[in-house]
Amino acid sequence: MSLRDNLRVMVVDDMSTSRGLITQALDAIGIRHYSAEKDGKAAFQRLTASPVHLVISDFNMPGLDGLQLLEALRGHKVTQKVGFILITGRADPALIERGKKLAMNNFLAKPFDAPKMKACIEQVVGRL
Amino acid sequence: MNANTDLREIFFNECEELLEVLSDGIAQMESGEASLDTVNAVFRAVHSIKGGAGAFGLDALVEFAHGFENTLDDMRSGKLETTPRIVELLYMASDRLADLVESARDRQECDPAESKSLLEQLAALSGGPSTMSSPSEPETEVDFAPMTLDFSLDLPDVGGSDGTHEFRFTPSKELYSSGNDPALLFRALSEIGEMNITADTSCVPPLLDHPWDQAFLAWDITLSSEKTQDDILEVFEFVDGMCQIEFKEIPHNPTEGSSRAEEPDPEPETVPQAAEPVQPPAPPVAEGIKPKKTGESSGPNTTIRVDLDRVDRLINLVGELVISEAMLTQSISEVTVPSGSKVETALTTLKQLSSEIQERVMAIRAQPIKFLFQRMSRIVRESSQATSKQARLTTEGEMTEVDKTVIERLADPLTHMIRNAVDHGLEKPEKRLELGKPEKGEIILSAAHRSGRVVIELKDDGAGINRPKVKALAISKGLIPSDLEMSDTEIDNLLFLPGFSTADAVSNLSGRGVGMDVVRSEIQSLGGRVSIQSTPGHGTTVTISLPLTLAVLEGMVVQVAGETLVVPTTALRETIRGRSATIHQMGSGDKVLAMRGELIPIVDLGERLGFRSTPQDLDKLVFLLVESDADKRTAIAVDRVVDQREVVIKGLEANYGRIDGVAAATILGDGRIALIVDTDQLAAPGPSRSSAPMFT
Repeated sequence: MSLRDNLRVMVVDDMSTSRGLITQALDAIGIRHYSAEKDGKAAFQRLTASPVHLVISDFNMPGLDGLQLLEALRGHKVTQKVGFILITGRADPALIERGKKLAMNNFLAKPFDAPKMKACIEQVVGRL
Repeated sequence: MNANTDLREIFFNECEELLEVLSDGIAQMESGEASLDTVNAVFRAVHSIKGGAGAFGLDALVEFAHGFENTLDDMRSGKLETTPRIVELLYMASDRLADLVESARDRQECDPAESKSLLEQLAALSGGPSTMSSPSEPETEVDFAPMTLDFSLDLPDVGGSDGTHEFRFTPSKELYSSGNDPALLFRALSEIGEMNITADTSCVPPLLDHPWDQAFLAWDITLSSEKTQDDILEVFEFVDGMCQIEFKEIPHNPTEGSSRAEEPDPEPETVPQAAEPVQPPAPPVAEGIKPKKTGESSGPNTTIRVDLDRVDRLINLVGELVISEAMLTQSISEVTVPSGSKVETALTTLKQLSSEIQERVMAIRAQPIKFLFQRMSRIVRESSQATSKQARLTTEGEMTEVDKTVIERLADPLTHMIRNAVDHGLEKPEKRLELGKPEKGEIILSAAHRSGRVVIELKDDGAGINRPKVKALAISKGLIPSDLEMSDTEIDNLLFLPGFSTADAVSNLSGRGVGMDVVRSEIQSLGGRVSIQSTPGHGTTVTISLPLTLAVLEGMVVQVAGETLVVPTTALRETIRGRSATIHQMGSGDKVLAMRGELIPIVDLGERLGFRSTPQDLDKLVFLLVESDADKRTAIAVDRVVDQREVVIKGLEANYGRIDGVAAATILGDGRIALIVDTDQLAAPGPSRSSAPMFT
């Protein structure tokens, strides 16, 4: 069993198109265990009840945005060490700086494809 | 790639929603009610469109959305104030964005010049194009080193990975009153793992003080199972919101670094909050294992996307169901069934069920008319610009639900009506001021459900119809004889005549060769009616009335020369028995019915449709008085009225062809086909007669 078979991922994005794009990339990479939520709050509640290895979240969301979600995750003992990849349309330095402070593991700029996603995940968890 | 085409479709559907958010937001900015949340929502909408467009390589869309987003970003950060000028530009930009989305969906090219000039104007607001980064250029290099996860596949613990979950289940009274039974839930739980359950009756008051409709019981449950907390919650999915589930933390060897005491709590605490471990206070959302109330579970409104074809197939099947139900009813009525028998009860239940299914299925196709109305506000903006008039559109009842097909097919007629209202209805600003009216013309577009139909009204506060001019024009175009006496309504309805246009000069706006006649025929093909009322000096109201669905209509089942036919009740005003009616013979053999001082032409349905040629004794017939769109009355003579009922419309045009005087067909309870007559065509002079003038 390779890492990709065991890795549990949560995808968080308010747009079903983007969720579809992300999960499609995960399918292409061969990551099988993923679930998706469409807002930060729901994702947080779910993650604290049933944790995963890696969260892939959009930044731009109503309610909790991606970094606010990260902040909440880092503040909770169950999820504080979870891997976190931020998907963002504009990778502006201020945003990344905020992410760094919250120990964001990596980010991925839109638009992305499966190889880019794979590289991004591998930078966090090692070879899949 | 199939998955990609699906996603693409989802994207464009989502775009429609986002564009709606966008125009709602801009409208709020315009009215000055916008908060920062609004600006954020508007920004997010544009940003999401850009993000999706990027994934599908829709460059023109990405580029425009990017520039638009920059402006919104400046508004968000307070660099730009909301001024009327900006709102105007935002409207234009959102219109443009909608265009780009549309052309991207249809895979068409869009003229880049318009985008460019708008982008320049937007950029100028934020202080010149220099501040604008192009979306195609690589994002500014950011200083970031990915952080490798200190990785092990062990997941942190959430209460009892040794397989023990402890929780308390407190049903509310709603759980009982909705017919749920805790015992069934416990049974489902016991299938997950070994369960130990204790009922807590401490809250139950003495029987004498016991309010009968309140719930007091709670249960403490210990479940040994490999399953996660989520799996347990799944059991309670159906009683979501009607109970409280409080998970207790089971102190347990943590795999993640946690400073908690290791010894398990010897005595299970009943108050979950007391089980909170000692932990530095985290932000309020992130405290301990929050007792998860299933009532506040995720997701606003959950929707799925379904192919329209599937819904239509379902609607078709439901139509068949209604027909078979009618057939069953009829065959049962033919055999003698003792009254009060089980067959009768079952049939009643079946009827109720099938009519409810029918209603629910139709509701799937129904959509709020809001989206269509929003598109109209753009038409108002464009038309008032083109005619240098000022107009404001107010919409009412935009949550009125209408069949999706109807909404789609209403777009063109409504667009045309609005252009007309601005172009011909409203006066120029100077003129309005002179008349003591507000400079800005008011256009009100409203929708409502009224007695089983959808009524859409377009009202303007303009000059009203210039009747002498309309009449003169109709005469000069040879549409009516010059000596014709006409009522105001009749004159107003001249606008619907083919080949009529009131503008002196064909303006580049409404005079595009489509007249109100096209509006009328489109509405009629939807089974609707359109009428116009006008008060000189005060404005014009155009009213469209449409059936709620396109699949069913209410009709009178009648018999003519041994044939069974259906007359839609929408146009029906009254029925008159032949022998109590006053009938006059006109010179050429035509007969008219005299009623309340009015002479109403009689059409013998059997003769008109060619079922019989010999004139009937009118005394023995029944007259159905129908009213056409032009308020013209006709008495349709039939042999007998059998019944009044809902019938399922089956189109004839696809299977057979168009028949003059026949709108469609239906299948009756006895399995026979009955034609549904088109009363408007019947009222119009038929092919058998010499063409008489329209207005007599």
